[in-house]
Amino acid sequence: MEQYELFLQTLIAGFMLGGLYALIGLGMALIMGVMRVINLAHGDFMMIAMYIAYWLFTLFEIDPYVSVFIAAPALFLFGLVIQKYLLTPVMKVESILPHNLVILTVGLAMVFSNLATVFFTGDYRSTPVSYASNAWYLTDYWPESPIELSLSMPWTLSFVVAVIITIALWIFLTKTDTGKSIRATAQDVDAALLLGVNVNRVRMVTFGIGLVLVAAAGCLFIPIYYLYPALGKQFTNVGFVITVIGGMGSTNGAVIGGLILGIFESMTATYIGMGWAPVGRFAIFVAALIFLPGGIASIIRRRRLGK
Amino acid sequence: MKRLSIFVTLIFIVSLFSVSAYAQEVLKLGIPLPLTGTNAKFGEIEKKSYEIAKEEINARGGIKGKKIVLEFEDSQGKPEVARSIVERLIDVKKQPVVFGEYSSSCSKAVAAVAEERKIPYLVVTGATDDITQQKYKYVFRLNPTNAYYAKGLMSFLDTVVKPKTIAILYESSDFGTSGAEDMVHQAKKAGMQVLVKEQYEKGAVDFRPILSKVKAAKPDVIYMVSYVMDAALLMRQIKELRIDAKLYAGGAAGFAIPEFIQNAKEASELVMTATLWSPQIAYPGAREFAEKYKKLYKDYPSYHGAEAYSALYVIKDVLTRAKSWKSEDIRAAFKSTKMMTAFGPVKFEDKEGYTNQNFMDTLVMQVIKGKHETIWPLKYASAKYVYPITKWRERR
Repeated sequence: MEQYELFLQTLIAGFMLGGLYALIGLGMALIMGVMRVINLAHGDFMMIAMYIAYWLFTLFEIDPYVSVFIAAPALFLFGLVIQKYLLTPVMKVESILPHNLVILTVGLAMVFSNLATVFFTGDYRSTPVSYASNAWYLTDYWPESPIELSLSMPWTLSFVVAVIITIALWIFLTKTDTGKSIRATAQDVDAALLLGVNVNRVRMVTFGIGLVLVAAAGCLFIPIYYLYPALGKQFTNVGFVITVIGGMGSTNGAVIGGLILGIFESMTATYIGMGWAPVGRFAIFVAALIFLPGGIASIIRRRRLGK
Repeated sequence: MKRLSIFVTLIFIVSLFSVSAYAQEVLKLGIPLPLTGTNAKFGEIEKKSYEIAKEEINARGGIKGKKIVLEFEDSQGKPEVARSIVERLIDVKKQPVVFGEYSSSCSKAVAAVAEERKIPYLVVTGATDDITQQKYKYVFRLNPTNAYYAKGLMSFLDTVVKPKTIAILYESSDFGTSGAEDMVHQAKKAGMQVLVKEQYEKGAVDFRPILSKVKAAKPDVIYMVSYVMDAALLMRQIKELRIDAKLYAGGAAGFAIPEFIQNAKEASELVMTATLWSPQIAYPGAREFAEKYKKLYKDYPSYHGAEAYSALYVIKDVLTRAKSWKSEDIRAAFKSTKMMTAFGPVKFEDKEGYTNQNFMDTLVMQVIKGKHETIWPLKYASAKYVYPITKWRERR
């Protein structure tokens, strides 16, 4: 019985973590798909959103979940500015190095985390919401239950919001014109140009949306986690691994990739050891590159073609 | 012309005299501390505490009539920088005694220089055991070593809880690993069985997988060595999973500072932690120091502050008693130190493989009604300990 309890509790934890990871990975995959750029400042944009949520909470007592609606638009505008004045000019420059943009994002990441250290010091911060350690328990609802499972309130909230945002993104990408042009640009830039898609505008919007997703992820993470200036790196890693597992730019792949990563990490932590979780993350990353170079997206595509 | 030159000479002589008179009144002491970099926060706490001690000592006439002037030198938390700072202090500034630094690795580097130059060095916060295990003649240590951090906690466990099993969770850093190893060692000595011993990577988001494992193992005691944010996350998730142990205990660091309670909120209630010092402890001068610090800087100091504050008093005591300020005499004065400070009794002893080490009681604190209270040893207690611990389900 205890073994079942352990397994189920781990699975629940992994699933929720995966849902949040997916949100980070989604933004990165979207940017990757349209701009052919790995945004290595992704985690640092998340850090910025978390600082927004933190200050709103500390100064005005605004709940981090409400901050999603403030931090996400703020980062959207920020994304437009960055795209227009930094990324687009660099994209046009001919240079010896083919990956100028990637290098630029690395630079941005350093600038952001160092600025945060200067302005906010290296202190660890968190938003101690009143419901931080509340949870729902299986035995409260079903007293005879042989096993005890618990569902953390903030984690569940974060997970549900993440799912809602993911669904909203899916509707946006499949049903709206802008969404369709984003997907068109991701599939084939030249064809999209020929068909009259304003590719530059699409790139701007995509970068903005990518940041909206990661900003939301930041606001969802801060009630269950904490914040410090150098936090970005860790989540950039997560996003990067998910993007690779998902298949370089596939949004469906990123969602599945996020869930796989979350569950895999939790399972490693329970059955091998928590110190091994980061090792597990990179093992899965390398395995994906070797055995499934196209990522999960290639499996999805193959099945579709098979029909 | 002749008169002018006499006048100039006179002025010169007078100024020389006044400079030397000034030099007689002032004792400049350089202190290496991490004022930038990751340990800057602790460097800052210590700097403030040294300054409080300096003001007090100067107000009472300084050391042998000399006013103290402190010069803080930023070591950035890097051993090689700390080393070069101390080399300059000894070789160029001819400072008779050296003290300070925060981390173990920097203290170790400074200790090596001091021993080489035969200048007494007082370690203030570096806790790694081997600094005073190298048979250094000129290195003295004020703070208890890592292996003794949990001594108070162990005596509480032995007398009150009498646990049979223990689970140990720790951060995979130097500090976490050595803390956990020491605990395994002591738990075995006390006849406890270690059911779970798990490390985690600093910055982990979700501890529920290992905590579920701990829950399945049903240990009597859960012992954790973590920094503050991980400590808060751990306790929050322990509450959420309703893991009922007889005792939740932290190994100093993250569990012993007010931020732990602010972040873990009601999940921190009744959690115990080993610590070296607390603001309400009954040592003479401790409470006054803590209140003064709070008045100036709006927050209570951590034990690092008390160590720094007391270190300057030890230096004062030693320099006052020393026959001369030659290194042999200062060393002899260190050896015969026997004094009470705000940090506790100070006496440098050679025993159990250590040389010139100060041995003292370490304390246990418990979070009672949202506040850290000292509960063990009983003679220093500020409140009665709460035991047995209420089960999570019954807490409201």
